[in-house]
Amino acid sequence: MSAFLTLVRKEVRDATQSRWLVGFALSFALLVLLFARVQSGGDVFAEGFNRTTAGLLNLALLAVPLLALLLGASAVASEREQGTLATLLSQPIGPGELLLAKYAGLTLALWAAVALGFGLGGLLLALFAPLGAFDRFLIFVGLAAGLASASASIGVLLSVALRTRLRAMASAVLVWLVLTLFYELAAIAIALTISASGRTLLLASLLDPVESARILGVLAVEPNLDVLGPLGAYLATELGVGPTAALLSMAMVAWIAAPLSIAVAVFRRQDV
Amino acid sequence: MLQVVELGKSYRNVRALDGVSFALPRGRVLAVVGANGAGKSTLIKSVVGLIRFEGRIVVDGIDVSRNPKAARRRIGYLSQEAALHPDLTVAETASFYAALRGLPPQRARECVELVGLGAVSDRRVGALSGGMRRRLALAVALLADPPLLVLDEPASGLDVAARVELRRLIADQRSAGKSVLLSTHWLEDVPHIADDVLVLDRGRVVFTGPARELLEAPAIESRLYLRINGRSQDAIELLRRAMPQRPAERLGDWVVLPVRAAEKASVLHTLVAAGIPVSDVRVEEAPADEALRRLTEVDP
Repeated sequence: MSAFLTLVRKEVRDATQSRWLVGFALSFALLVLLFARVQSGGDVFAEGFNRTTAGLLNLALLAVPLLALLLGASAVASEREQGTLATLLSQPIGPGELLLAKYAGLTLALWAAVALGFGLGGLLLALFAPLGAFDRFLIFVGLAAGLASASASIGVLLSVALRTRLRAMASAVLVWLVLTLFYELAAIAIALTISASGRTLLLASLLDPVESARILGVLAVEPNLDVLGPLGAYLATELGVGPTAALLSMAMVAWIAAPLSIAVAVFRRQDV
Repeated sequence: MLQVVELGKSYRNVRALDGVSFALPRGRVLAVVGANGAGKSTLIKSVVGLIRFEGRIVVDGIDVSRNPKAARRRIGYLSQEAALHPDLTVAETASFYAALRGLPPQRARECVELVGLGAVSDRRVGALSGGMRRRLALAVALLADPPLLVLDEPASGLDVAARVELRRLIADQRSAGKSVLLSTHWLEDVPHIADDVLVLDRGRVVFTGPARELLEAPAIESRLYLRINGRSQDAIELLRRAMPQRPAERLGDWVVLPVRAAEKASVLHTLVAAGIPVSDVRVEEAPADEALRRLTEVDP
């Protein structure tokens, strides 16, 4: 087995042994069923996937980035604090290779948690509920996985740049607050108070991976202008649903690649 | 095996290493000594390629700056903290690092046995004592049977038996034609484990030479405490006659005198030969920083 795969395997093992990740997966499996029950007024399987998915979207947009940001933020900083980073980098592996392997392992573990959490509940629903909206549920699971990847990428960048675990974790929480709460409020404020240009609104929707994921999720589940929010509504009206989805999907990919690339570049120049 | 040419390193405004040059031939052991902040760890980390530096370091013909991965294939490294993942067992740790180097699990088991940890191979690293963890880190350093071992304070945290074992292990490496670069605070160990010594002071080389010269260096003095029931005065007079340059004196129940590393045995021999029984012996090692300060003053 190559050094890269050995590191990925170690990272997956570490992440899956984390109580946070297991707790997240089980909690979400339960929440899928709970939402199905609440939305259907007691009959768990009456409404099926569509309403359940819509209900879960907002919860996933809060929980998934928080988990991924925190795990990413601890990835390198904790190794540095333990001193194990020096032991790892004294082996014949490059810093870029180590960082990418850590990210890959972490992302695989997050995907597994998302798939397990939503997949388990989804499987139970699929057994008994109408399958009409199952494809939308799958898109939602894919979106959650993509958001986890982007958030982990930002977390890893914080982990590399801020060096201590405490600072990286605190910054991860701050970033999470900005991305999930303050950003949308600011966007609404801009939309309501300033006559913002189309370019500004377009940029605003691309500069937050959580907002991108939210708009994509709403487009997939229930493309309603009221639910899309000011940025989503603007994009859907101006560009149409298809191009908006394509543009936001590319933004998500950029949110995965850009922070990770910066993290690799910074990490390569750092002393251990 | 190792060539260091005009090595320099600055941390912001602090010059940690300045114009350090030396060569370590194959089959030799070089000890780097120096007070805290002298630049020992910076030198060691530079050789392993863990930090960026000015100058040139070549390991077995490979430039560390240009090809750090290839250079590290030829290096076994023990860090000062002997840091390993606490959640892995001893066996898992060795297997993990063996896999990173593309070595079979059998080699990991061999190295765990070599450092005497075979009996605790299922124990988690977090549950090991400091000395055991250091031995495991040494096993990791030995995995690839590298031609150059780089050991940062290898004796730190080891008990006397483990230090003796470490000396044997280093001697075995030297006999096998391997080179060893180590840093240490234990000045009295240096002549027994190293062929050559390099003394750093504030990032500069202030002394290089055969390690055995340290045995005679006046700076490296310990204090020897002897308990001699009922005949302390006789012992003091005898030692003052035999070793006038080492004034023995009484301190409570103890007879105390300053000695160099090579003189301890002869003090005991002198007393026993004169029929003066020694009931207890204690050694107060020379404070490393103070001794090194004096050493660098003696050999500028």
